[in-house]
Amino acid sequence: MEPLNNVLNFPILSLAIFLPTLGAILIWLLIKDERMVRWTALLVAVATFILTLPLIFSFDTSTAHMQFEELHHWIPAFNIDYRLGVDGISMPFIVLTGLLTIICIVSAWNCIQTRIKEYMIAFLILETTLIGVFAALDVMLFYFFWEAMLIPMYLIIGVWGGKNRVYATLKFFLYTLTGSVLMLVALLAMYFESGATSFAMLHFMDYAFNFTWQFWIFIAFFVAFAVKVPMWPVHTWLPDAHTEAPTAGSVILAGILLKMGAYGFLRFSLPMLPDASQYFAPMMIGLSLVAIVYISLVAMMQKDMKRLIAYSSIAHMGFVTLGIFVFTQVALEGAVINMISHGFVAAALFLCVGVLYDRLHTREIADYGGVVNVMPVFAAVMLFFSMANVALPGTSAFIGEIMVLIGTFAADPTHMSVSAKWVAIAAAISVVLSACYTLWMYKRVIMGEAIKDSVKSMQDLSLREFSYFVPLIILVVWVGFYPMPVLDLLHASIAHLVEQATSSKLEAAALLEHTSALPYAGAH
Amino acid sequence: MSEVTFPFPFPQHLELILPEIILATMAMVTLMMSVFLSPARQSIVAWVSIATCFVTAAAVLYASGSAGLTTFYGYFVLDPFAAFAKLLMIIATVFAMFLSLDYMKKEVNVGEYYTLMLFALLGMMLMVSATNFVTMYLGLELMALSIYVLVAYQRDVLRSTEASLKYFILGALSSCMLLYGLTFLYGSTGSFMFSEMGTLISASGDELRFAVLTGMLFVLAGLAFKVSVAPFHMWTPDAYEGAPTPITAFMSVAPKVAGLVVFMRILHDVFPGLQAEYTSILMVMAVLSMAVGNIAAIAQRNIKRMLAYSTIGHVGFILLGLIAATGNGYTAIVFYMTVYLFMTMGVFAIIIMMRRDEIQGELLDDFAGLAKVRPGYALAMGLLMFSMAGIPFLGGFWAKAFVFMAVIETGHIVLATLGVLFSAIGAFYYIRIVKYMYFDDERVSFNFVKSGPLQTIVVLSTLIIVAIGLYPEPVMALCKLAMANFV
Repeated sequence: MEPLNNVLNFPILSLAIFLPTLGAILIWLLIKDERMVRWTALLVAVATFILTLPLIFSFDTSTAHMQFEELHHWIPAFNIDYRLGVDGISMPFIVLTGLLTIICIVSAWNCIQTRIKEYMIAFLILETTLIGVFAALDVMLFYFFWEAMLIPMYLIIGVWGGKNRVYATLKFFLYTLTGSVLMLVALLAMYFESGATSFAMLHFMDYAFNFTWQFWIFIAFFVAFAVKVPMWPVHTWLPDAHTEAPTAGSVILAGILLKMGAYGFLRFSLPMLPDASQYFAPMMIGLSLVAIVYISLVAMMQKDMKRLIAYSSIAHMGFVTLGIFVFTQVALEGAVINMISHGFVAAALFLCVGVLYDRLHTREIADYGGVVNVMPVFAAVMLFFSMANVALPGTSAFIGEIMVLIGTFAADPTHMSVSAKWVAIAAAISVVLSACYTLWMYKRVIMGEAIKDSVKSMQDLSLREFSYFVPLIILVVWVGFYPMPVLDLLHASIAHLVEQATSSKLEAAALLEHTSALPYAGAH
Repeated sequence: MSEVTFPFPFPQHLELILPEIILATMAMVTLMMSVFLSPARQSIVAWVSIATCFVTAAAVLYASGSAGLTTFYGYFVLDPFAAFAKLLMIIATVFAMFLSLDYMKKEVNVGEYYTLMLFALLGMMLMVSATNFVTMYLGLELMALSIYVLVAYQRDVLRSTEASLKYFILGALSSCMLLYGLTFLYGSTGSFMFSEMGTLISASGDELRFAVLTGMLFVLAGLAFKVSVAPFHMWTPDAYEGAPTPITAFMSVAPKVAGLVVFMRILHDVFPGLQAEYTSILMVMAVLSMAVGNIAAIAQRNIKRMLAYSTIGHVGFILLGLIAATGNGYTAIVFYMTVYLFMTMGVFAIIIMMRRDEIQGELLDDFAGLAKVRPGYALAMGLLMFSMAGIPFLGGFWAKAFVFMAVIETGHIVLATLGVLFSAIGAFYYIRIVKYMYFDDERVSFNFVKSGPLQTIVVLSTLIIVAIGLYPEPVMALCKLAMANFV
């Protein structure tokens, strides 16, 4: 076994993965009282979050090497290992998962009244699978967590969701399952093609697949990750799932689950299949632009607040995929910042809708109006996050989007079929669209006179509700004004990724065949 | 061929067949017991039969440890593969007997029922130890005849007798096809021994090719009937629905194990020279089975019929391992069968518990709202359903993953892609049961049978499936051990 790079000499990732499950088992077996269930779940979630903090403080920002590694044999018969580790790209999402799980549990404190025990268990197990996805360095282990995530999510939407929840959850389950099974075939095929002796991701990154292999594997990965992101045109499960999921389900869905797809592109497609990634880059950029522009227009026309935010999520994820597939350091860092920022902002917006929904039990925009008169504090909070969604300077989303735009603008012009500048301009225009739909929704819901009786009787935020907005506000502002700590985490890993993604795996002769499609070919 | 001298010395290594001797003796003892015991005390027979299974399992473990591998002049083999398959079938039989304890309580003369199960088990044990077509056919018919009767055991229930008749006629037809194919093979080679036939067929020239291929085709079709592979699956849904539920559980596991072991032995030993030919046949059958099993199951409203189609689908996945025809492929098959045994038994135990006075508990609607009334059973059923759908962290995921791994290793990527897509389609009807249990409201009142054995089986099966899902290595190591001498 190779030496493990783990400065803590302590299996911190394993603990972060399995602590929530242990808590869930404890709740399942021992705790009957509903109050105790809530407090225990919160305690476990907070403990897990605190446990993930050393990942930030002990992180070595000078290297792209995996850190906090762990390695045990899992299924030696088939060379499958239990291999964990993080770099700058995956680590922030583990911490984000810890934070959002706490928020999910607090937000469900009073509004989930049925089967609270199962609810908390489902969320804790979901946390295990999500941290597992970001920490896994063995592709089979990655797939294991990636798929296992479906079980708790299926139940969360199906049991605690809205009226049309059964349709939404079945659609979510089958869409994502169909996407990811193809990834399994691709992973197994890569394993045998490379003649590897383990399923370690790093090995797959090093092996030089020829162009045909890269082509087909890219397609299989694309299906799996594009469904998860989701990219147009396989996005249709998301509005349904978001709309019907309970508030906390939407929060975790928007905050973490969507990032898994983008993370897949960063961790699998780019480093393992650099030539295919470049070959398909024009398509990916095109689909991203469709998501940014077209989906923004769709969002504008929504009558349901959650649907509107769901479409806005798709549009924002379009920025992420755009940033990934222009292969510049700035754009890739912007993409990751965008992912993190969207984790704060979309989560917060869903929480805002949840607050409204708890009071009037409707998500229709038309049922509100003039909320500012009865809920001034809430109106301020929602205004803040609406502005963040618009990517106003000073918020985290601004940093992410501006970096993606700068990176795109500066991208190697030979490498895209249309000029990079036009792509950047088209994407920039859509920022206006996001302002349109977000602010228009804000105007219709919050502004004006409170005419409806139901609105007049609404109570402002309780302390508990306010408490879960506070960390998100702080983080949005902090990353918006001073993103350097986050960027420092990313620099080394992203630089390594750019190097991997822009260096060809092909032999010189094979390169010549594809020169027209692969712009970086000349460099080698 | 060399001159055949037929010696009659006393067979060596008779201890290899000790488990079968014990089983046959006890089957006859239980038959006598059921004649002489009063109707009220017939359940003693059940417990004696269960004890017999345990003793037989112990005998298998003892006998497989001894040095010799074959007895009866090479007609009977007890390699690790056969021993492992026997243990699986014994576990399946014991589970099915536990399931029957409560279910068959009201039947008269229930003693014969357990005797028949023992005979079926005996037949299957002979099958997996067969090294030639004679022993194999002997075991096959003993198993089949016992199960025909068991399916019709509730003779005053119309659907039960109808199912049995269908099963019998189609089963007889499939035996005919098997025998017909066998005549071609025997005519071409002059032998019934698997290995000898294999050598001769590999060496045979073009003049025998037609006869050998015809023979192979019919033998494969006959076997495909027994393991319910499409397009020879038509009897399965009817027989599953009509049989008493414990027998459905029994016949969806044990005969499948026996049939697949025979399948593997025949393909590997008799037709090594025709691998390209049988692979193309198996590919068609595998794709058809996965398609029929996973698509037709969606339309079913009765859970026993649904599970019948699910079996067809699972056997389709298992065939992928046969197509790979490598050590990994065969190991994956054995692993799949192990996981499948526990999944199926757990599911059927829950179905049997759902039976109430008037309601059979077999319609999908009957599961509505189960999670609110009986969260424990709903959790077990849910986990088993996710396992059948092949979702991690459950055993069913690894079962499928290893089969796909084997088939991709041999380069059949398109086949594997079809397989995973059908498995995704199949996931729909498994998670639909979870939907009934967790998302819907109660429609009928639940009045669960209180039965220790049933509960034990549910808990045990679910725990095993979860344990295999989290850490499959111990079971995998056992399967590797079982297949070590085979390839």
